[in-house]
Amino acid sequence: MTGAATGPVLRVRGLTRRFGGVVAVGDVALDIAPGERRAVLGPNGAGKSTLFNLVAGADTPTAGSIELFGADVTRLGARQRTRMGLSRTFQTSRLLTGLTVEDNLYLAAIGVSGGRLRLLRTGRDRTAREQARRTAESVGMTDRLATLAGDLSHGEQRQLEIGLALVAEPRMLLLDEPAAGLSRSERQLLTALLLSLDRDVTLLLIEHDMDVALTVAERVTMMHDGVVIVEGTPTEIRADQRVHDLYLGKAHV
Amino acid sequence: MAATAAVVVGVLGLLGVLLQAFEKGLGTEGNVPTFILITLNGLTLAGLYFISASGLTLIFGLLRVTNLAHGALFLLGGYVALELVQDAGMSWWLAAVLAMGASGLVGLVVHQLFLRWNQGQDLRQALITIAVSLILADQMLAHFGATPTAIAPPEWLAQPLSLGVYDLSYPRFRLAMLVAALVVGLLFWLVYTRTRVGMVVRAGVDDTQMTSALGVNVQRVFAAAFFVGSALAGLGGVFAGTALSLAPGQDQSFLVSALVVVIVGGMGSLGGAALGALLLGLVDQYAGAYLPAEYSNLSALLTFVLLAVILAVRPTGLFGKAR
Amino acid sequence: MTMDRMLTLGTRGALAVVLVVVALVPVLCTTFFTSQVGLTSLWLGIVAVSLTFLSGYGGMVSLAQTALFGVAGLIAARLSVESGWDPWAAALAGILAATAVGLLFGAVASGSQGIYFLIITLAFAQVTYFYFAAVPTFGAHEGINGVRPPAVLGDPVQDPARMYWFLLVVSVLAFLGLRHVSRTAFGLALQGVRDDPVRMAALGYNVRLHRILGFTLAAPVAGAAGVLSAWSNTRMSAGSISLAIAILVLTTAVIGGLNRLEGAWVGALIYTLCDTYLRGWTDRFTTWLGVVFLVIVLVSPGGVVGLLGSAGSWLRHRLAGGAPPPAAPSTPAPPVPVSSGGAR
Repeated sequence: MTGAATGPVLRVRGLTRRFGGVVAVGDVALDIAPGERRAVLGPNGAGKSTLFNLVAGADTPTAGSIELFGADVTRLGARQRTRMGLSRTFQTSRLLTGLTVEDNLYLAAIGVSGGRLRLLRTGRDRTAREQARRTAESVGMTDRLATLAGDLSHGEQRQLEIGLALVAEPRMLLLDEPAAGLSRSERQLLTALLLSLDRDVTLLLIEHDMDVALTVAERVTMMHDGVVIVEGTPTEIRADQRVHDLYLGKAHV
Repeated sequence: MAATAAVVVGVLGLLGVLLQAFEKGLGTEGNVPTFILITLNGLTLAGLYFISASGLTLIFGLLRVTNLAHGALFLLGGYVALELVQDAGMSWWLAAVLAMGASGLVGLVVHQLFLRWNQGQDLRQALITIAVSLILADQMLAHFGATPTAIAPPEWLAQPLSLGVYDLSYPRFRLAMLVAALVVGLLFWLVYTRTRVGMVVRAGVDDTQMTSALGVNVQRVFAAAFFVGSALAGLGGVFAGTALSLAPGQDQSFLVSALVVVIVGGMGSLGGAALGALLLGLVDQYAGAYLPAEYSNLSALLTFVLLAVILAVRPTGLFGKAR
Repeated sequence: MTMDRMLTLGTRGALAVVLVVVALVPVLCTTFFTSQVGLTSLWLGIVAVSLTFLSGYGGMVSLAQTALFGVAGLIAARLSVESGWDPWAAALAGILAATAVGLLFGAVASGSQGIYFLIITLAFAQVTYFYFAAVPTFGAHEGINGVRPPAVLGDPVQDPARMYWFLLVVSVLAFLGLRHVSRTAFGLALQGVRDDPVRMAALGYNVRLHRILGFTLAAPVAGAAGVLSAWSNTRMSAGSISLAIAILVLTTAVIGGLNRLEGAWVGALIYTLCDTYLRGWTDRFTTWLGVVFLVIVLVSPGGVVGLLGSAGSWLRHRLAGGAPPPAAPSTPAPPVPVSSGGAR
């Protein structure tokens, strides 16, 4: 942990994923510094989601390596990466629909802190419950604690989705299109929430929505056809001609 | 590792069978003649399994419905044919066709009435078909009684066929069962690869959404698949009723065999069903004949151990898709 | 708020009344009723609740519960009848054996989901059935007769009162124990695995381990039911665990309601009552059972208990004078696992 403080939090080299003959991600290199806010942009089919799944451990690469907090995690599953301090959200909400909001957050808390198999209630339970309620407050869901996750509105489900990733106090947060399907006002809330995150947390976000991405991110990686075509600050990205041709031009039609 | 162990055990078992079959040489007094007969028994049984399992796998592959009433439709086909041949004096062939129609029709009605509007809820659909099978089995018990009965085979298949080796002869009808299985397999293959409907069926196996995009009336294809799948269950029942016999309880035992076949091969895969049928038929017959005497009553167990091992190694069967 | 509280108290009161009435059955009813209906519906309820727990909280619809029931029952019967063990020790050995077998079954089946899980457990049921039907140690098809329950519990045929109360106590303990589990970290995580295994893995959970342990936890419950059934009937054979019985247990659990634990006993009571009294009226008992099963699955996925629950909340709604119905029930009812998501 101490050694990782200076090096990059996430270090990706030569990452490649092929599906049959199709190269979804081809030879991608990526370095993300501690505390950095990074957005990955690109049109549909650019390989963003595949890259995201490879980093999260939901998919295994055909070639290349992934280092997380200084350790090689290329062959580790999602569960181990989560316990190392990586959290992710899903593009379409994956909530525990039969459980209350509080129980969702509670399970997310003990998923990392331990005690997952406990059959008795102990003092540690209280800590996890408090953690759950604190997170509910930070994502603005205190009044929905007793509601079943399956009964939430779409916007609330997106809020809980982010809450689930935040409870365990991750060192690195992966957000898969957090603004998907949100209204304008909900997007503003989301942007504010992301901007208010602790600087200890490193953020990697995949986003289709330029407003959210370019406001939150400090650096932007632009992907097309599975490869990185340009990397830079939001201002540089906005000015880049290739980006305009590829993406901004179409997005503003 | 588990896979290697499973393969090793399988190869050892096969070697054990071959050793016993050939240890006394190829002469008439050796065990080869018996081995030939047992192998034929296994192959023809595999044919019967394939016929009924192909219907189950068609329905699952296309509609994602696990039709647990398949065994009841199987027995229904057998009983209908029995009644038509025995009481109405109809020819075996016509009776078989009508029996297929009857099973297909009942299956179609079940699909339209109960399953169609529960699409996508696979466990609920499975429960529905369990309830249907309870009702059907009890109604068959009421109408056809509990005494085991067999259907008389068509006349020219009633005599045994001389095999031309070791003076062996073998029931023609059982060989016809194997031929029928091959014909069913061939028809499936032709329809799947050569026709537009087949393309839709294969697309459906891969992705239901895509089928809708093709602009075909998906509901009509589903209904047809359910009819054909259930009719094949009925055909299996006619063959089983002729080669073996019909009795209450056989609906469940044949349902279980068909499930094992389909699961071993991978649900929805026709080639998998063929392989599964072959495995099950041969293992069943070889185990009964070649296991040491004190274990031979455990042969029924072996097929389920086979299933458990295969599922433990490959949770979606040999040819099943991971997703 | 106070209204809700009063209603919760009311529910508890009603439950207490039901329990008292049930406890008085041996005093108020005939020996025949106590033994035939009482004992049977209690042990059937216990084996069914092991399935209700697995399916309601773990999303695992298992047909192997009767197999575990048989392992415990037949081993306990064999040890006490043939080897002269003390019935309690034999029962303990049987239940431990069932738990070990449950662990094994769970380890193999936990990789499969939904319909695949149902079918692999069906295979386990068949393996166990064929094993016990073939092996002479367990009396093959004959089974083991003349099983003597512990002397304290009396003669289950002549004087079933004490046996009945014992079964009732075990039922209550099983209910409370499983309900407790469902509220612990382990139990909540099990429900999480039921709802979305992928999410649970992303939260740091070992999904497969959770399934295995959940399955193992339900095994001694099914096993206890097996021992109690052998004691109540003074016999057990391979026929007691055939596929038909496995499907009967599933039917019972579905009729009662897979959403809530108490549904198991409700379903068992309904089945046993019909089995005892309806058979005189109709030869086609199984057909009617199938029809009821079908109607329940089609109309009320929550079973009879679910129907009663909806009727209850409608009544509360009316009593509360048109105020909005209570947002959440005192214990959140998990949804019926109608769809496995296994294909994803």
